[in-house]
Order: sequence, then C-alpha cells, then structure tokens
Amino acid sequence: MASISSFAMPSEAPTYSFAAAQSASGQPRQHGFYPYTDNGGSTLGISGDSFTILAGDTRSTSGYNINTRYAPKLFKLGGSGPNHEGSKIVLSVVGFAADGNALQERLDTIVKMYKYQHGKDISVHACAQRLSHILYNKRFFPYYVHAILGGIDEEGKGALYSYDPVGSYEREQCRAAGAAASLIMPFLDNQVNLKNQYDPNSGPGLEKVQRVPKPLDRTTVEEIVRDAFTSAVERHIEVGDGLQMMIITKDGIEEVYTPLKQD
Amino acid sequence: MNHFPEAWGRPRDDIYGSYNPQFLPNSHAQQSGHPTTHTQSPIVTGTSVIAVKYKDGVVIAADNLASYGSLARFTDVHRLKPFNKKAVVGFGGDVSDMQYLDRLLNSLDVKENYSHGHDDAESDKALMSAKNLHTYLSKVMYKRRSDFNPLWNALLVCGLSEDGTPFLASVDLLGTTFSAPTLATGFGAHLAQPILRRVVPDEAASKALDKEAAVAAVKECMKVLFYRDARSMNEYSIAVVDKSGVDLKQKEKLEGQSWAFAEQIKGYGTQTV
Amino acid sequence: MTSIGTGYDLSNSVFSPDGRNFQVEYAVKAVENGGTAIGIRCKDGVVLALEKLVGSKLLKKDANKRIATVDRNMGVVHSGLLPDGRHFVSRARDEAASWRSTYKAPIPVSSLANRMGAYVQAYTLYSSVRPFGITAIIGGWDAETEVDVDGAVGSGPKSGSGGKTEGAKQGGPYLYMIEPSGLYWGYYGAATGKGRQAAKAELEKLKLNPKDGDCISLEEGVKEAARIIYVAHEDSKDKDFELEMTWISAVNGPTKGRHEEVPKELREEAERLAKIALEGEDEEEEGKMEE
Repeated sequence: MASISSFAMPSEAPTYSFAAAQSASGQPRQHGFYPYTDNGGSTLGISGDSFTILAGDTRSTSGYNINTRYAPKLFKLGGSGPNHEGSKIVLSVVGFAADGNALQERLDTIVKMYKYQHGKDISVHACAQRLSHILYNKRFFPYYVHAILGGIDEEGKGALYSYDPVGSYEREQCRAAGAAASLIMPFLDNQVNLKNQYDPNSGPGLEKVQRVPKPLDRTTVEEIVRDAFTSAVERHIEVGDGLQMMIITKDGIEEVYTPLKQD
Repeated sequence: MNHFPEAWGRPRDDIYGSYNPQFLPNSHAQQSGHPTTHTQSPIVTGTSVIAVKYKDGVVIAADNLASYGSLARFTDVHRLKPFNKKAVVGFGGDVSDMQYLDRLLNSLDVKENYSHGHDDAESDKALMSAKNLHTYLSKVMYKRRSDFNPLWNALLVCGLSEDGTPFLASVDLLGTTFSAPTLATGFGAHLAQPILRRVVPDEAASKALDKEAAVAAVKECMKVLFYRDARSMNEYSIAVVDKSGVDLKQKEKLEGQSWAFAEQIKGYGTQTV
Repeated sequence: MTSIGTGYDLSNSVFSPDGRNFQVEYAVKAVENGGTAIGIRCKDGVVLALEKLVGSKLLKKDANKRIATVDRNMGVVHSGLLPDGRHFVSRARDEAASWRSTYKAPIPVSSLANRMGAYVQAYTLYSSVRPFGITAIIGGWDAETEVDVDGAVGSGPKSGSGGKTEGAKQGGPYLYMIEPSGLYWGYYGAATGKGRQAAKAELEKLKLNPKDGDCISLEEGVKEAARIIYVAHEDSKDKDFELEMTWISAVNGPTKGRHEEVPKELREEAERLAKIALEGEDEEEEGKMEE
C-alpha cells in the first residue's frame, strides 16, 4: 500500500476514500498484530492415468526454528471415523498451518455432510469446486495456504487440482507448492511435462520437436517425488525431516512415510 | 478505470467528498473517529515454558517470574495450571490473558464435572484428556486471532491422551499448533529445545526415557535459561503428569549453578582487560 | 379442598380473602407426591439422599441420576416435578457461574440459597407463570480457608494492608431448603417429599446442633441418611426405589471439598446397615405384639 500511495499523482487526479490511498507518504505506520505466519514446508502432487500422488514434507518451522519434525500437511477427506477409512480424496495445505488446519477441518466436515445428505461419496470434481468457494468466500481475510486436492475422477483417472489462497483453481498434471515450489516446479515441468526436452532426431534449430508428455506410471512418479524432495531438502532450510506420500487409487489411499535429512 | 484496484468501485473524493466515518457503526468508529482497538502487544509477560514427554508421562516447567517489560515485576507467579488429573497447561506470554484463560478453563472444568463421578478409575476415563483440552484451547486461540483480538500467549498443553499415552502439544496466539516429544516456547525454543532434543531426538527415545532422566533434563534447561535469558528467574514450577495424576511443585529453586563462565565473557561494556 | 369453586385458585399471584395463594399450595401438593429427599448437615460435611422411585423396570439401574452438582462444592436434591427440578438446577448453575465471573470466587451456599429463593418466589408473582412444583435442598461446603481469587497469580502481601488475617476462619457445611413459595431456611437436617414426616421425626433424633456438642460425623451422617430414606419408604413399600446419595466434605475430608457421589462400597454398607436396623424395628414391634 505504501508504495502505491507514495506514487505522486497529478494534483487534479481524483483521490479515494481509502485509508491507504489517503495517508501521506513516508509516514511511519504502527505495526500491530499480524495474524499470519509462514510455517514453511513444501507439497507436491502428480496425477497419473489411474492414480494421484500427493506428497509433503513433515517439518514445521517458525523463522529459523523447527517447531516439530512431524506435522503432516496431507489430510484424508471424508471416510469414516477418526482415521477416515474408505476416504478417496486427499487435501494438502502448505503456508500458514493454523489456517491449513481450519480449512482441512471445514472441507472434511463438508465432505462428510455430503455423504449423509446424498448417500454417496462426493466426486473430486465437486469437492474441488467447493474448496474454491470456501477459499473465495474468505478472500478479504484469506486462508493463507496453497492447497492441492487429489483424487480419482468419475472416469477413474487421476485428478489433481491446485489453488491460490483466494480460490482460483485449475486441474493440472502436476503442481508443487510451498517454500520449495520454485525449486521443485521447474524440475516437474521438465520431468513430467517434458518441457525443454526435444526429440534428438527432429532436426536443428527451430525444427526441433518437443517430446510429447504422456501419463507416467506409478513407480516413475514415486521416484520423481522422492528426487524432488531430497533435492529440495538440500537447497531449502524449511524443508526436511520426513516425507509423507499418499497414493490415491480406485482402491483407496496408500500412505508412505520416509525419513528425510534433519539438518 | 485506473491502475489502483483498491480504489475501483469506491466513490471519488473529488465528486463526493471524503468519507465521513461518523456514520459508521460504533464498532468501526467511536466518538473519536478512531477504530476499535484490540491488544497490540503484551504488557506483563512470562517467559519460556519447557516440557518433555517420557515413557509414562510428561514433565513440564516454567519459572515464577512475571516481567513488566524489562522490570522483574512479580516473582511468585505460577504459570503452570493443572486442569484435572490428566492435564496441565503451561503459559508463556501475557499474564492477564493467562488469567483469562485460567478462568475459562476453571469454568470448563466445573461444567465437565456436573455429572458427578467420583475418585475412581471408572470416572477418570470420562475426564477430559490433555488432547481434548489442547483441541479446545487451539480453537479458542484461533478464534481470537481471527477476530483480530488475540490472546497473547504461547501455551504448552501436556498430560495424557484418552488411551493413557503421554501427550504434549503447543498452541500460540495465532492458533498455530504442533506436537513433538520435546517442546519449548519463547526463549526456550532457542536455548532449551536443542538441549532437550539431544536427550530426546525422537518419539522412540521418548518411549525409552524414564522419569528421573526427564526431570533432570528439564531442570538442566531451566538452569541454562536462567543463565542466558534476562527475563527469567531462579525460582520455578515443575509438574510431572502420569497415570497417578499431577505432581506439581511451585517453589523449586535452581540447584548447582556455576557462574564461573561469567568471568570468561569479554567484549561488552567498559572492560579494559 | 375449600378453595375449589371460589375462583381464587384460577390464577397465579392472586390472594384469597383470607390471605392464601392457592397456586402455591397446589405446588406444595405436587411436592408431597415426590420421592423423599433429605439433607443432613454434619460436623465435617453435608449428606444429600434421595428415595428415587423407579417408575419402570425398563429403566437402567443406577442411571438417570437425580442429585445434581452446582459449581464444584454444592449439591441440589429436589422432590416434586422432575422437569421443574431440572430447570431449578440449571438456573442454580448459571447463578454460580455468574457469581464467579463477577467476584472471581465460588458462590457461598447462603448466597446461592438467597438467589434461588428470590428466583422461585418470582414464579409466584405473575399470571403468566406457575410456581415451581418442587422443594429443593441445597447442601454445600464453603471453603473455610481464604480462597484465591480465580485466575490469581502470586500470593499477595504477606501482612498489612491487603494481607491475611492470621487464624481467621469462616465457611463450613451449609444446608438450605427452598419451598415452592420461595421460602427458604437454613437447616441442620431437612426433609421433603412423600415420606418427610417420618424422615423429620428421625432427623430430630440425631445430634446435629454443633452447640450441643458431639455433632455426628459425615460418615455417621451417610449411614443415618440411608436409614432414614429406608424408614421413609416404609409407607410405600410396594413401590421399587433406589437410594441415591451424595456428600460434600472439607478440603481435607474424603471428597476434598467437592460434591460427589457417595462411593459404592460405603453406600452399600450403609444400605446393609439400614436394612438390619429396619428388621430390628420390625422384630421389636413383633415382640411387643407377642407380649
């Protein structure tokens, strides 16, 4: 805001009844309570032909401190009981953990209520749109999280949706979010969507043809996820301690935990 | 349309005049025209709380000092509050908010006990567990931060969960929650946590740790905190929660201090040597 | 009933020419049908006991407790219309909680009795309501040592202004009974419900006035309470009942200043003794007949 208001406007230009636009430039502003914090960590999701994998590290940070080495960022939605048995949708949230938990709890309740009211499980498609609405409804005091939702769509194919904090969303093949997103995403672009990979026999210069991405098989995807995180741990201080992976197939959710470096 | 999105859709001051906040409801503009204000910073504060899970319980400690800025204002303030036989809450941060929470927990406990069981194992099962209490407190804290009216505290909730296993978790003024075998708030997160993590690196180590070792580790940390935290004191409270209930001591004194290291510290002030 | 047909009993808060409020009197009748409830103020605590009449074999034994806890240190037992009793208890809990939020300390039993008396009395004043169909007995223990303000930190000045008076003692066991009119008194022993006459006769035989010396102990009180409920039940022997008992002692006593259910073992022992005492009486009577 300060940068906007310090911009010198022509004198005849209209002013607005908006605090930040009115305040004199260069004035110090009292810093009070700030309701957000960043708890670090990273998440990632890749969808395949018949599965979706979501992954996240389990470190929680405050500045340079490690709060805990095990704070899951992946949550099963719906299903029955405290362990969400029978669930087939996973939500991952990274950013401000308290908002992440609140969001997860709300969406979980909605998914459960959907089953009570309609007698069938919610589709990932519907769940994805509902999540967007929840985030958008709070756009003036957003849930400070990057959410990724994964499941199996009505055709049995892997489905993955990614969100910004105010509910803008899209279905994608893969997405990295959180602290190390900028480290992982380019790697995913290259390995999953085959960006900058050209057919070596396609000719010189502009005649080069990009390799066409195809859905990957499960073992390949798991390897990519592990590589992405082990590399991110090396280069980002907020990522580490443990890797939690959830593999969603038509038969349910498999959960895998593997340790990461604790440094 | 211009390139200031925050002004889109708002009345232009050159046409309508600037907005008159007098017409706002009282919650938005009081007589003075200023908006309602909430706590912006803590006043009287308590420093670190530290805790460790061991094989059949939890040890928690906090010193008895309440500071007014850098003034050591109150020296007999008990910052560990037993909730019931299964749970203790340790408070760091603002003392008046601690008192509010203490009263809140007190009224919660009164309501919890309307169905009058008595002192036996069967009734104990129905008691609110430390885990339940932590969930409750985390919702209170998150609600208050969302209302922009935070309770300026960092809490450790420790005790036993429903199945009788040791429980330790934290909540802060933002409603952020996490759980670990060792936890420390405030200055303790920098000073005590590394020492505690050396003793208890993970859950497995916590399950192998006995009560004496846990108490020793916590006492050692209280000493280090007194050495290095300028808002700490040498009298503290320590509580052990296990199957047999809460054992709370509120007048512990630090033992075996050694200030020999102080002579080695050079480079500050007017030292000439 | 002389009031019937006079018209003075048709609305609440209306006096008859001879100064009676019939609606209140009818409420008292409702109480007279309820199971016997008693309270005994002993040297070191208070016992509350209830003859809980079991209306159906389909009701689970020892479930559906009727004696309620208010705050931590008080109990309420009532006889009469059950739902009215529930509302009374709910209000008492609210009063106790609001006292705490104002004064940051537990409400004294006398103050609770006073507030509840006023509340019950208000239900005799308006035509839009009816009086409470219960008589309630409130038992409690006021802490005899100075209690900390709720949420207090530190221990305050050791002496002088705001300091503590050495050896000052207050508090102790208290017992009050509130009737549908709102009338309440403090009692050594209180009884209400169907068997109140027999119960009162038994209560009067007990040593309860501390000024007369050797006031009975809490444990004796528990046994007497059980016996008295059994005695009071003699007149309606055909009906099944369960004995419900709670007690409150000082902080250094068995309940640590809290209102709690009397432990099962002690209650069963008290019931055993009560039955023996009753059989003894029967035998005595039979003996007299033979003579």
